[in-house]
Amino acid sequence: MKKTILTVLTAVLAAGASLAQAQTTLDLWHIQTTENGKKIIQDAVNRFQQANPGIKVRVTPTQNDAYKSKLKIAFGAGSAPCVFMSWGGGPLYEYVRSNQVVDLTPYLDKNAAFKNRLLPASWSPVTFNKRIYGIPAENTAVAVILYNKELFARYGLKPPRTWDELLKVVGTLKKNNVAAFSLANKAKWPGSMFYAYLVDRIGGPTVFKSAALREKGGSFTDPAFIRAGELLQELVKAGGFVQGYNGLDYDSGVSRQLLYSGRAAMELMGTWELGNIKNENPEFLKKVDFFAFPTVPGGKGNPNAVLGTVGDNFYSISRGCKNPEAAFKLLTYLIDEQAVQERVADNRLPPVKNLKVSDPLLKRIQTFVSKAPSVQLWYDQELPPQLGELHKDTSQALLGLSITPQSAAAQMENLAKKILK
Amino acid sequence: MSTITSAKTAPIPLEKRRQWSQAWVAAAFLLPALLLLGVFLVYPLLTSFRLSLLNWNGLGNTAQYVGLHNWAELLHDSTFLTAIKNNGLLALLSIAIQIPAGLVLAFLLNKAGRGSTFLKVLYFLPLLMSSVAIGTVFRSVYDPNFGPINSLLRAMHLDVLAQDWLGNPSLALPSVIAVVCWQNIPFYMLLFLAGLASMPAELREAALLDGASKRVIFWRITLPFLQGTIRTALVLSLIGSLRYFDLIYVMTGGGPSGASEVMATYMYRTVFASFNIGYGAAISTAMFIIVAVAAGLALRTTRRFETEV
Repeated sequence: MKKTILTVLTAVLAAGASLAQAQTTLDLWHIQTTENGKKIIQDAVNRFQQANPGIKVRVTPTQNDAYKSKLKIAFGAGSAPCVFMSWGGGPLYEYVRSNQVVDLTPYLDKNAAFKNRLLPASWSPVTFNKRIYGIPAENTAVAVILYNKELFARYGLKPPRTWDELLKVVGTLKKNNVAAFSLANKAKWPGSMFYAYLVDRIGGPTVFKSAALREKGGSFTDPAFIRAGELLQELVKAGGFVQGYNGLDYDSGVSRQLLYSGRAAMELMGTWELGNIKNENPEFLKKVDFFAFPTVPGGKGNPNAVLGTVGDNFYSISRGCKNPEAAFKLLTYLIDEQAVQERVADNRLPPVKNLKVSDPLLKRIQTFVSKAPSVQLWYDQELPPQLGELHKDTSQALLGLSITPQSAAAQMENLAKKILK
Repeated sequence: MSTITSAKTAPIPLEKRRQWSQAWVAAAFLLPALLLLGVFLVYPLLTSFRLSLLNWNGLGNTAQYVGLHNWAELLHDSTFLTAIKNNGLLALLSIAIQIPAGLVLAFLLNKAGRGSTFLKVLYFLPLLMSSVAIGTVFRSVYDPNFGPINSLLRAMHLDVLAQDWLGNPSLALPSVIAVVCWQNIPFYMLLFLAGLASMPAELREAALLDGASKRVIFWRITLPFLQGTIRTALVLSLIGSLRYFDLIYVMTGGGPSGASEVMATYMYRTVFASFNIGYGAAISTAMFIIVAVAAGLALRTTRRFETEV
């Protein structure tokens, strides 16, 4: 009897001791709310906890749009989580600029093997003034034009390679009562992709960069921006989009329903759309193929250059974190070999070098991205938030034919002059 | 024991003592309410005004004091002016549609008597649903490609009337206002039903005895009897329309191209999407001032027209 009491006592004491050790708790916030997405992160956290007894990780997944407000309020109130997810670019820089994010450069220098395993292009959205503030982990997603092979075959169409060929495709489809492009532009970012691609095809990758960074005489009134607006409106006037595109809500899936029902033949969208289609309508996926955004007559851009992001989402450590060492270790688990395999199984392309992929469609996206001489991050993510919002507003207005390309460019330039120094 | 002696030494009149204790009791009862008002109304209001004097992205110690700069900018901000205009239109149409419709429904239901319980519940339903759910449902109702409205119009060969309800800048706001009215009419109906229920039957009976027609009874007795309720409805509708947010945010997000932007959606975008806390605070403080002034004016003018029943 005495012996049992003693054993129980020791057990209790031991538990107490380990409790005292488990003082460190790290908070991790992310937006992977699908079953698989949640599981991949939780599995990585479990591996980390197993290897680091005494450190507990509290994981909080949040829906995409709610997350943006939640994160901002948490930082404003001084109760930010240790590890948080972001999309890199302008919004993350807002946090970096306010001295809220840990500079990961020294940690990465110490862990060169970890750093070199990841694709070089994946670091650029989290690199500011040559310092790195986050690690890429989730996926490579670039905008491509998805199209319905069956519809194209029925009307004898081929994937257009130039703007003029595209306009011809639009004309043929229109004659047959099919809208060329499906677009759900209530949230404004889907339509902004057309504008960004046009700027890239017309002026090449440097026009936007130098305007956004205020370098080398860059300006948002550069002819490339105005020409992009003109071509966009030309496409609208040619009847290139489904009815009601500026009021449709992407999140409710209408743009895909328009594809499924055959009312629209194409959609310019991030490659994640293929995953959505696979989940919603696997039969339809067999009819889908994709091609690159066409070239523009006289344009300087490389037809292989892409718009999108390599590595998104990104994970960073907040300045308020009491144990950044442990938090960095946690970051490495989020994209260890196991996590990479699980993501590939979930139809994603984690940003690691020499990634082995067997799914044919995924493989094609991989080749497509690997050929790209440059990757332009989504404008609304690259620009500072205020300017990003204005860009979305003006591109929606351009698509709605309610402003002129000159006015859109001038509005952007005025605000850029005011807030970018 | 001691109270008795003190009462003896200071002979205060009973009346005065009662008044004092009443004042204390009143203060004690008011204190919690005042505290709540202070913590949840006055303090946030002052904080919001203080924030409106800053240029701040809401993160860390990066705020700069800019004085009234945000306010000066607000006066020239065309988006804000559009938002005020839209709020005004929303208020005008809300009052012009919701209150008469609520009144008519209440009057008819009141006349129908007991048998109307089912209709009452039916008409009351929109008020029970969350605005977000209503917004989502009506987004699909309005959908130009798959929505029932356009399908119906096309089925009736009225293709010209099939519109892009939420994507067309000149239709977006009216389309949203129609849903706002549909959602809020039941509230005014309920308010007027309660008003009608409190009307003494003798009033009507006396008028009938005097030979008044039904029409005269409605215009001369029922309506004047309800004028207090109508006034309440008017002010509530005005305040509600000026700070409207949820349905518009869900259905159009203020777009397309700002066509359905109201003050609250603009404030939300400025604070949460543009990281511009100072300017957003200026918008919200200006909104408070506009709502307070409008409500005050509405109360004053309607009081002037009030007649004795």
